[in-house]
Amino acid sequence: MPSQVFPEIARVDARDKVLGQALYGADINLPGMLYAMLVPATIAKGRVGELDVRRATETAGVVQVLSIGDFPTLRPEISFLGQPIALVVAETIEAAIEGAEAVTAVYEASPFVALMSSPGAHRVPAEGFSTGDVESAFQNAATIVEGTFETPTQHHNPMELFGTVAEWSGGRLTVYEGCQNVDAVKGALAKALNLSPDAVAVKSEHVGGGFGQKSPPKIQTALVAQAARLTRRPVKLVAPRGQVFHIANYRPRSIHNMRLAANAAGRLDAISYDVVQENIPDGGFRSTGYHEDIARLYAIENFRATAADVHIDRQMPRHTRGTHPFPAGFALESLIDEMAHKLGKDPVQFRLDHQAKKDIIAGQPLSPHFLNDCLTEGAKRFGWSKRVPEPGSMRLDDGTLVGFGVACGIFGASMSASEATLRVRANGTTRMISSGHEMGQGMLTAIANVITQGLDINPDRLEIQLGDTTRGPQIATVGERGTASCIPVALKAVHALRAKFEELAGSNPPAGNLHEQLARLKRPYIEVTATELAPGQDPSALKAFRSGGRAGAGPDYPGFTSMSYIAQFVEIHIDPMTRRIRMPRAVSIADIGRVVSPRTAKGQMYGGVVWGFSTALREETEVDPRFAGYLNDDLADYVIAVNADIGNIDVGLIDQPDPRINSVGVKGMGELVMLGTAPAIANAIYHATGKRIRKLPIRIEDVL
Amino acid sequence: MADEGSTKTQTAGVTRRVVLATGAGAAAASILPLDESAQAQMPSAHVETGRKVHLSALINGQRVSLELDSRASLLDLLRERLGYTGTKKGCDHGQCGACTVHLDDRPVSACLTMAAKIDGRQVTTIEGLSTGQDLHPMQQAFIDNDALQCGYCTPGQIMSAVACVTQGRATDPDAIREFMSGNICRCGAYVGILAAVEQAAKVMEG
Ligand code: FES
Ligand code: FES
Repeated sequence: MPSQVFPEIARVDARDKVLGQALYGADINLPGMLYAMLVPATIAKGRVGELDVRRATETAGVVQVLSIGDFPTLRPEISFLGQPIALVVAETIEAAIEGAEAVTAVYEASPFVALMSSPGAHRVPAEGFSTGDVESAFQNAATIVEGTFETPTQHHNPMELFGTVAEWSGGRLTVYEGCQNVDAVKGALAKALNLSPDAVAVKSEHVGGGFGQKSPPKIQTALVAQAARLTRRPVKLVAPRGQVFHIANYRPRSIHNMRLAANAAGRLDAISYDVVQENIPDGGFRSTGYHEDIARLYAIENFRATAADVHIDRQMPRHTRGTHPFPAGFALESLIDEMAHKLGKDPVQFRLDHQAKKDIIAGQPLSPHFLNDCLTEGAKRFGWSKRVPEPGSMRLDDGTLVGFGVACGIFGASMSASEATLRVRANGTTRMISSGHEMGQGMLTAIANVITQGLDINPDRLEIQLGDTTRGPQIATVGERGTASCIPVALKAVHALRAKFEELAGSNPPAGNLHEQLARLKRPYIEVTATELAPGQDPSALKAFRSGGRAGAGPDYPGFTSMSYIAQFVEIHIDPMTRRIRMPRAVSIADIGRVVSPRTAKGQMYGGVVWGFSTALREETEVDPRFAGYLNDDLADYVIAVNADIGNIDVGLIDQPDPRINSVGVKGMGELVMLGTAPAIANAIYHATGKRIRKLPIRIEDVL
Repeated sequence: MADEGSTKTQTAGVTRRVVLATGAGAAAASILPLDESAQAQMPSAHVETGRKVHLSALINGQRVSLELDSRASLLDLLRERLGYTGTKKGCDHGQCGACTVHLDDRPVSACLTMAAKIDGRQVTTIEGLSTGQDLHPMQQAFIDNDALQCGYCTPGQIMSAVACVTQGRATDPDAIREFMSGNICRCGAYVGILAAVEQAAKVMEG
């Protein structure tokens, strides 16, 4: 039964990280290694007419130049600014940069669409969703609130750049790179380089932040591998931040028209929601996904959604932390706040009154959840009762405007089929081969906690291997499903190993810990392999997992739907003179099912508030309509929250298992943790000023 | 020199130039000019191009003498020529703090510092902060307060945090936050970083 509470243990890879010994992709240095630099296209659309690489080739230290036609990645047709048109490979970084700067191109430019609002932008409707009778709900509504909400283009900007090291040995390729999905990268490399997948290894032992940016294979990786193949030497590429802005994916700008109806009794009755986002044709981020999570947040029976893409000529937008529920939740949670004010109700109580029990999309029950506990616990810790409801009514002695805001977030609890192999040795060591990627979210620590709680082993000599295709298939660590996928299988492996040991030792086991017992039984080791499926999956999911296919399921499982929940509270101060917006404190409480690693889970909770703050008040990628490129493509101009921005944050976890989703009752949290912050800030700004701001990021000029 | 415990952080099959860095505090062999015999530890001796400069400096207490491209940054010297990969590249433009090291005990962005400028001076990187098995109080405080997630910004944070204390700037929470705001942490570990600096300041100031 999923009842065990896990104690807090220290982050298992913290020591390596504080010593500078954790190795990220670009930290790999190999004998004879060369350095590469990309040459980006300077037009958004058209063709490369002529490419002159002669001066680059003659540059001292340059060993090889790959240009148009040398490799499929280097295409003459240009579809976004920054698309690589050449790769210069040299003895040093300095020579590679000099060589790359010496490449000149003549283009045949075509007209392009930079923004959703650009002339000629093409709108393509997508499939909608409807349940209940929205029309009559609005006709019979006593109160309606509505608004148009806008969230900007944003880049993930993990601190780790795109670093790739490629090495060949005896016809086999090894790539070191920060990834969230090494198996997809392996498959893409095999295809691009015409290799058997068995001849490709991808290693991503530590990832310097992912946030969705590192989920899909990257455009430059196969190119670097090809350069290493041609030069017969290892090659390293670290793409500069400005180039990463143009070749990495990003959060698309999106516009949300939402209407909310309440009946005469003051109960929410219907949502009507139309969304449009920027995208490219066949883009990987569906406009049809926006309504899916938020439709399950409250008990609102009638829901109608439409979706559309507006096609632009930039690189592909994709999943970014918070994905669809972030912009959709900004719209919904702002409108809920507005409705509560309009009805004269307390925004916390109003949410408590609409607790959802049913998934209106799948038409089945929601698994038991604790959103209302998050709200009441958060309100208590925050001191919500001290809030004076009237907007603009709370001030500090110096005239600073004070606002209290609350908002909730919801994210689907998905899972993947997976496998784990656990070996305990008589020599005092233990090894688990697991599946996934450690990006700082604490997956290694969570797995270690399951093993060390379940087995009497040396915790200091436990090694957990993941993020490496040579260890076995690796789940895509996306959509906050990593921990929910690898923890139940780890527990299963622990139980299997215990059972195997009991069988071995019989009724009279020798004394000592497990290692000592094995030594006394003259067994060098025991090993078990466990597999686990998500609810409703059949063994074909395991086959897909083993062959790099799609092995995920949920959040709607047969007979129930499982979601993660969060309630976030913020206090906002607005300077009476400068109108500077500050957030001196925040409270964040989540229901993520059973908490397997309390310390790293809390780390995510803190980080989520920082992300939320940053998306609400700082981050916007500015698209230059003249070039369809990014104006603020560095970390000075793309402003991210820093330490001085962040006040006190209090976080809490309900720690109640979801009894239906898996044997541990664990759900995900990586996306969830930032979802409520932005709307809570917008709601607090309304409370402080009486102004509804319906676009992000919120700037000083919005509260003048 | 690499013990059982640290081998698990190595990636199989890589001849690890970092071997130098790992043992920097422990007493590694001194780093010799590239044309001499340090090949076993520095397998990828660079073919330097461009205008070359000769420099001699103390890096993590080791005498380093070499010739390199005059355009090289201190960051690319440390990471790509000397194997001190603990120092990270997050922007290469002096905007993120991931590459913070100490130059004559003052924090600098290694990406904005020309390698040639360190001639005759002392550099300390994350690998040189502690000796042997003992952690620097700031490193310990980062573990105790879980002041990290992905760990990519962490070496730079720690080098800045040490400077924050030694320069007498860790006087109150807001002063620490302000001082530490040149180091971006995209994972958002700021709450833990503040707590770590406060904890270590007490230990360091005795
Ligand atoms: S890499 Fe030097 S400050 Fe960012
Ligand atoms: S720990 Fe990931 S950027 Fe700071």
